[in-house]
Formats: sequence, structure tokens, C-alpha cells
Amino acid sequence: MAYQPKPPEGWLKTNLRYYKHSGSWAWILHRITGLGLTAYIFVHIYALTSLTQGPQAFDNEMKLFSTPVFKVLEWLLFSLVLFHAFNGVRIVLVDWASGAKNHKKILTLVYGLGVVLFIGMGVLMFREPLANMFASIR
Amino acid sequence: MKVTLRIQRYNPEKDSEPYYQEFVLEAGDEKERILDLLHQAKWKHDGTLTFRRSCAHGVCGSDGIRINGRNRLACSTLLRDVNYKKPIVIEPLPSMPIVKDLIVDMSDFYKKYEAVKPYLINNAPPPEHERLQSNEDAEMLFESAKCILCACCTTSCPSSWSDENYIGPAALLKAYRFVFDTRDDAGDERLDVVDTPDGAWRCHTIFNCVEACPKEINITWHISQMKKRLAQREM
Repeated sequence: MAYQPKPPEGWLKTNLRYYKHSGSWAWILHRITGLGLTAYIFVHIYALTSLTQGPQAFDNEMKLFSTPVFKVLEWLLFSLVLFHAFNGVRIVLVDWASGAKNHKKILTLVYGLGVVLFIGMGVLMFREPLANMFASIR
Repeated sequence: MKVTLRIQRYNPEKDSEPYYQEFVLEAGDEKERILDLLHQAKWKHDGTLTFRRSCAHGVCGSDGIRINGRNRLACSTLLRDVNYKKPIVIEPLPSMPIVKDLIVDMSDFYKKYEAVKPYLINNAPPPEHERLQSNEDAEMLFESAKCILCACCTTSCPSSWSDENYIGPAALLKAYRFVFDTRDDAGDERLDVVDTPDGAWRCHTIFNCVEACPKEINITWHISQMKKRLAQREM
């Protein structure tokens, strides 16, 4: 061949440009939540190292973690756990239980269950502080 | 009705990078196929426009291209399947070397296809008539045997984009077609090829192949059946 074919563009560019349906979004979210949770494990272990500096250091840290900002972050962390766990079950069903024939329905279930439990956890976590806040305003 | 095709062009003799050229074409109605419009562009506007097509009826699998960002057959995609109010973007299949315009080099695709030995291997002497199968056994193969090797699935797969050694959905589907054929004796040989990190286990069940397949084959389901067979073999 007189002319060499043009090599394809890189995988990232192809990923960004190619059409995405619910399955591709589930895969992308699964990767992102997986990386997020891995990063969290490191932060979590780092936070626990304050134990080596005595109970006072640990208590100070716990006080920081009970501030509203960290509570909301904790709630968001729960959303990562929810999606990664339920979509993980979906992947197992696809690979081992013929879930490939119903993968979109299972995904709807993943999102539905996730949203319900996320809101439920939000109510559990913030009902009391919000009630206290409104009580103090009144 | 006027329709605009925005076609990716690349001539290795002249261009260093691919570029886009717009063709404003006349379409009868929304039942017109993308292939008809490509013909019109080539026959009436620019004879140098280059693309593959043979049967033009969704059987040969020659005209797999990327239409508005997703892999489809030009002959099986009607105007009403896409948003034709805006320019329709036509590009070659992704992650394949471009030979010219919409023609990609499929050598790597066929090499991987051949790796799974896509032919019947039966060591018994040939019978006088056909090798018979029960209806139930044959039904296990009907869907996988519909594949026309258009490469829409393999080139739509994110695992294929990032791992050039990944054997790809088309070859895995063909492996299924013979592994689950009761007349075939070489199932283990084929499973050996597929049982690698670049084989069936690279499938991350993204379902891009299923979305892309013009013959509506649930490729991921077939790959999952093979994963189960591989696990059973280990036990």
C-alpha cells in the first residue's frame, strides 16, 4: 500500500464523542463512584491515624466531622455507595443470571431503589438538626 | 425536502488530518435511507467521496458507519431514525485506521475473528446427509448466527477502544455460535482463546454493542453465557 491508513483517535476522545445510552452512563458512573470510594478509603484511613495522637486529637476531629458541611458530604458519600453497590448487583445479574435481557429494567430499579434510600437516609440524618434549627428560629 | 449531510473526509494523498464537508441534498421523504443520500452525494456532487456498500439491504454488512455519533448501517437507517432537521454527521467507524473517507482498515477485526476459528470442527466422518440437530439445540444458535460482520459492535465497545488486544464482541459472538453448537467438537480450543484478560473477561457489560447491532443481537447476553461456561469449566 502506497499510503498508510490514518491511525484512529485516542480512546478518551472516542469515549467522549460516541453516543451514550443508559448502559454506557451506568458504566461511567460505576467507574467514577468506584474511584470516589477508593479515594474515600484513603481519606478515611488517614483520618483514623489521629488516634495515634491521643483521644483529644481524635475527639477534635470527630467534632469537625459532625459539622453540617461534613454531614452533607457524608450523605453524598452514601449516594456513591448506593449506586456502586446496586449497580454491582446488576452487573452480577447480567453476567450470571441472564440479566442481559433485562438490563435496562434492572437499571431503573437500581436508580429507583437508590433514590428512595438516599432520601430516606437524608430524612434520618437531617430531620433532627433541621427541626432544631426551625425551632430556634421560631 | 432539503437534508444536509456533514461527512468526514480524508484523502491520504492530500490531507494530513480528516475534515468535514457538508452536502445539501434533496430527499423525497423521511423513509429515504442514509445510503441513498450518500449515493446522491457521490453521484451528483463529488465523485471522489468514498464508502463501502454492496447489497444495500442490511445483509452484507459493508456499510457500517457512524451516523450522528453512533454506529449503524447506512442502508438500514432511515431519515426518520435520525434528526434530519440538523446536519446529519457521517463518520467512519471509530477506533479503526482510516484508509479513505468512510473506509476503515478492517484487518485487525478479521484477525480477531479468525482467532476463534469461525468454522465447524467435527472429527466424526461426514454422514451421508446433513449433521442433524434438535430444534432446541438449533434455537440456541439462531440469534448469534444472524451476525453479518459489519463491525458496528466491536468498534462501538469502550473496552475495544482502550485495549487494542481485546478480541471484541463480534469475535466473542462467533465463539459462542460454535461453542454452543452441539455438532462442534472444538469448544475447548475456542474457550481457551476466549478465557484470557483480553477475551470474554474484558467485557464490562456496557451494552454499546447491543445498541449498535443492526441485526438486534443481544451480544452481551451471548458473552455472559460464555462467561458462565468458562466458570463451569474451572469447576
